Amino acid sequence: MNTLEFLTRSWKLDFFGLGLLVLVMAAYGIAIGRPGPRRWPPLAAAAVIWILTLCSPVGTLADEYLFSAHMLQHLVLLLIVPALLLLALPEVKDPKERAWPKADRAGTARNGLGWLAGVGAMWVWHAPTLCNAATTDPWVRRLQLVSLLVLGTMFWWPILGPRPAHRLPPLTGIVYLFTACLACTLLGIYITFTPVSVCSVYVHPPDRLGILPLIRQGWGLTPWMDQQIGGLMMWVPACLIYLGGIIGLLARWYRGEELEHDTGPSLGPTPPPGLAPTHDNSPA
Amino acid sequence: MNPTSVSAVEWPPAAGPVQRAGLYAWVSTVDHKRIGILYLLTALVFFAVAGLLALVMRLQLAQPNNHLISPEAYNQLFTMHGTTMVFLVGMPMLVGFGNYLVPLMIGARDMAFPRLNALGYWLFLLGGLLLYFSFLAGGAPAAGWFSYAPLSEAPYSPGSGVDYWITALLILGAGSIAGAVNLVATVLALRAPGMTLRKLPLFVWMSLVTALLIIFALPALNASIIMLLIDRQLAASFFRATEGGSSLLWQHFFWAFGHPEVYILALPAFGMISEVIPVFSRKPIFGYEFVAGSGVVIGLLSFAVWAHHMFTVGMGHPAETFFGLASMLIAVPTGVKIFNWIATMWGGTIRFTTAMLFAIAFILQFTIGGLSGITFTTVPADWQTTDSYYVVAHFHYVLIGGTLFGTYAGLYYWFPKMSGRMLSERLGRWHFWLSVISFNLTFSVQHVLGLMGMPRRVYTYPDLPYWGSLNLISTAGAVLSAVAVLVLLWNVVASLRRGRLAGDNPWEAWTLEWAATSPPAEHNFERVPPVRSRRPLWDLMHPEAPDPEIRSPGRQDNLPLERNVVGMWCFILTEATFFLMLIAAYVYYDLFVVGGPDESHVLDRKLTVIFTVCLLSSSATLYAAERSLRRGWRGGFQAWLALTVVLGAVFLLGQGHEYWDLLHRGVDVNSSLFATSFYTLTGFHGLHVLVGLLALSVLFWIAWRGEVRPEREEAVRSLSLYWHFVDVVWIFVFGTIYVVGPAL
Repeated sequence: MNTLEFLTRSWKLDFFGLGLLVLVMAAYGIAIGRPGPRRWPPLAAAAVIWILTLCSPVGTLADEYLFSAHMLQHLVLLLIVPALLLLALPEVKDPKERAWPKADRAGTARNGLGWLAGVGAMWVWHAPTLCNAATTDPWVRRLQLVSLLVLGTMFWWPILGPRPAHRLPPLTGIVYLFTACLACTLLGIYITFTPVSVCSVYVHPPDRLGILPLIRQGWGLTPWMDQQIGGLMMWVPACLIYLGGIIGLLARWYRGEELEHDTGPSLGPTPPPGLAPTHDNSPA
Repeated sequence: MNPTSVSAVEWPPAAGPVQRAGLYAWVSTVDHKRIGILYLLTALVFFAVAGLLALVMRLQLAQPNNHLISPEAYNQLFTMHGTTMVFLVGMPMLVGFGNYLVPLMIGARDMAFPRLNALGYWLFLLGGLLLYFSFLAGGAPAAGWFSYAPLSEAPYSPGSGVDYWITALLILGAGSIAGAVNLVATVLALRAPGMTLRKLPLFVWMSLVTALLIIFALPALNASIIMLLIDRQLAASFFRATEGGSSLLWQHFFWAFGHPEVYILALPAFGMISEVIPVFSRKPIFGYEFVAGSGVVIGLLSFAVWAHHMFTVGMGHPAETFFGLASMLIAVPTGVKIFNWIATMWGGTIRFTTAMLFAIAFILQFTIGGLSGITFTTVPADWQTTDSYYVVAHFHYVLIGGTLFGTYAGLYYWFPKMSGRMLSERLGRWHFWLSVISFNLTFSVQHVLGLMGMPRRVYTYPDLPYWGSLNLISTAGAVLSAVAVLVLLWNVVASLRRGRLAGDNPWEAWTLEWAATSPPAEHNFERVPPVRSRRPLWDLMHPEAPDPEIRSPGRQDNLPLERNVVGMWCFILTEATFFLMLIAAYVYYDLFVVGGPDESHVLDRKLTVIFTVCLLSSSATLYAAERSLRRGWRGGFQAWLALTVVLGAVFLLGQGHEYWDLLHRGVDVNSSLFATSFYTLTGFHGLHVLVGLLALSVLFWIAWRGEVRPEREEAVRSLSLYWHFVDVVWIFVFGTIYVVGPAL
């Protein structure tokens, strides 16, 4: 089999994944109805990317051949699809709620949990036992798919969630994303350089399609290079996704678009009329 | 920074400490302006010295097969030139400007921690002197400014030069971190009312990002040079491949610092240009948000691309491809800035002062350096040009055409504020044209030399076609550069003596520093003008057409932060990065190195669990102590504090016992790489526990004398933050060494 034949023939129908997509779309239709003009592009993009990740040759490769393809799937399902789905939700405006109310315990718990969900999904699913199990056992793989989508949604909720009152203020949001990026980078660096095989199933795939010679000789991908590419994906492009989020938050902050949500006494200290005293520097 | 806390603060007596005169006043000063000038003057001296070193190198290279100096001397010269220019000129020059200007620009009275500020300067001077003392102690370091292992290891660099290099850099690093912590605390906690984060002058923004880069990047350098020092002094082998270590790890660690360092040197210059160009174009900056935001993005990206310095070490094609692509991305935010500066000038009423000329030259020359930089991201091209004069040409375009020209622009712009007198524009023009011509003469031909295959760091070269003449042109340019610097020095000295008086605001600029007198009084401002837009002085001068007000969305523009807490958090972040590097090193050697004693055989996990419980519970007792203090229960505070000290001491005793036991069983620092990394990691943690314990003991002593009052709570709070941090680090250290390590 050559590359062209592989790319055209190795599409597959992932009934579970597609069924889940239909469910999500149906839920969207029932709960929200027709998406508005600014909401349908992310919704459509989420659906297309969802299908492509699971049914295209990437899905086939991720099933048993390439750790790097698995990583691509992992990152897309955890970081991109949930973000797009959240962007497709209309904003829930409650006039009584202000953006960024004073930090409350529920809010802190929600944000902490979101962070742990995002970072945990990266770390836990790459423990060798779980990674291997998800590759060999179809039900663990399905569990992984659902968990990635759920955990990804939890992770993005404080940044992109539909309720402004649940969103982190921009600067805190930047810290949230930056630390997540750092945690993900560390694991990426480890996977890139470690001599230990993270997911040993990919070293000797069962090769049901007979494409292993194509991958090893045709594309020149050794198991070691494969794992290195996987680690690098988690390290560099994944970080760029977080960085994209950070840029979005910066833009939001500089534009000051939240102004409309914020009323009255919560405004920061405005310059008092007339001249203000300089800052004192003696130890308080 | 909320208004209530400002008004609650008591004003100090107006005169302050007794006015001292002369040299003693300078030596004992804690005034940010004087410290800033000390930084600038010292950096200027080192600039002259490093420039002379470069001149000697250029004279040696003026013709082929030259024997003006020996190869050994040449190696020392380029090492000292690079190290000096980066650590003793570039960084202090920018720190000096930041020190002088940031408090003035945000309407503060001084930096957040004036004494720490003075300490930072004196550490800088000490580090610089120590580095140059190496010449007297048997020879300067000669392993290049990045001291690649194994060349920098004891068998290959047997003299004391590299040890001086390490010690000097550790001291300089500590000074830089102190300065950065101070700057962040100043910007976040001491802004004048109304000076929200979104109104900060762009120089302050870029200084803030730079300070954060220093906080995260310098510890990587400190960790790696400490490991190198352990190699050299204790005969360990972290970076010695012949003994099982990894020279490659040195490169990873060094460039994890080294790449952000490039932006530490560039960003403040970006900030200066962003102040100069609008003022002399008589227009507000175009796209303030983009200039500030792209600075943040550059800072973040700089940590993700260090491996592009290592395309020739054999990381494998996947890593090279990823890092090549990621490095190309840096061109985007940098390009955004360039377009913003051009758009600011577009349609403006440009005044071609010397400051503005240098700013324009900056844009052109830095762009050239940036473009040649992008060529390196194409990996095969990098294989050809790496370690050739093409690289030398590239980074000099960035650092001279960029950083130095930006700093010159800043110098001509702010000199009147610092001295009260204008620099001569006539001499300034001479200086400008001489600088630009000589700089391009020196370095543009080096692109060609590099592409023709001339390697860098060779003391001489054979007489190949064109090599001699191109090198001669380069040397002629270098001599002309020296003339340009002499013109600048003459200008500074002459203008200080009889330059035109400047007045408060000679350029009709708009940021707060121009509202102070020139030079500013010791307390900076009598009154700070109201800040309602990004150009407060424009609003003051043009009440009929003020800038639109920048309102504060939410509280984040103006967080009520307290400087001690901000300072401690910055310190914790930098320390955390340091431990992260050590833990990474531990894991690395654990994975790759076999042989010698390792953890599963020699460590007694059960005993350590007991000591760990002691240390972790000491966090709880300290929390209880803090609570008692808040409730005004003095006895409880003392008792809980005493218990904390005891628990911390038990942990240290336990660690001492463990060391004793290991040493008795023959596990020495250099027995195996496990032993070296174990002692390094736990030893540095133990040192931190010890420091915390000493601080807690002092606090207990103060409490015992009844001098800790609930009002002083934030001092206790910063100390307890540190203690909790030390405990959290132990969780990671324990997890790595005793839990995960044996399983790997």
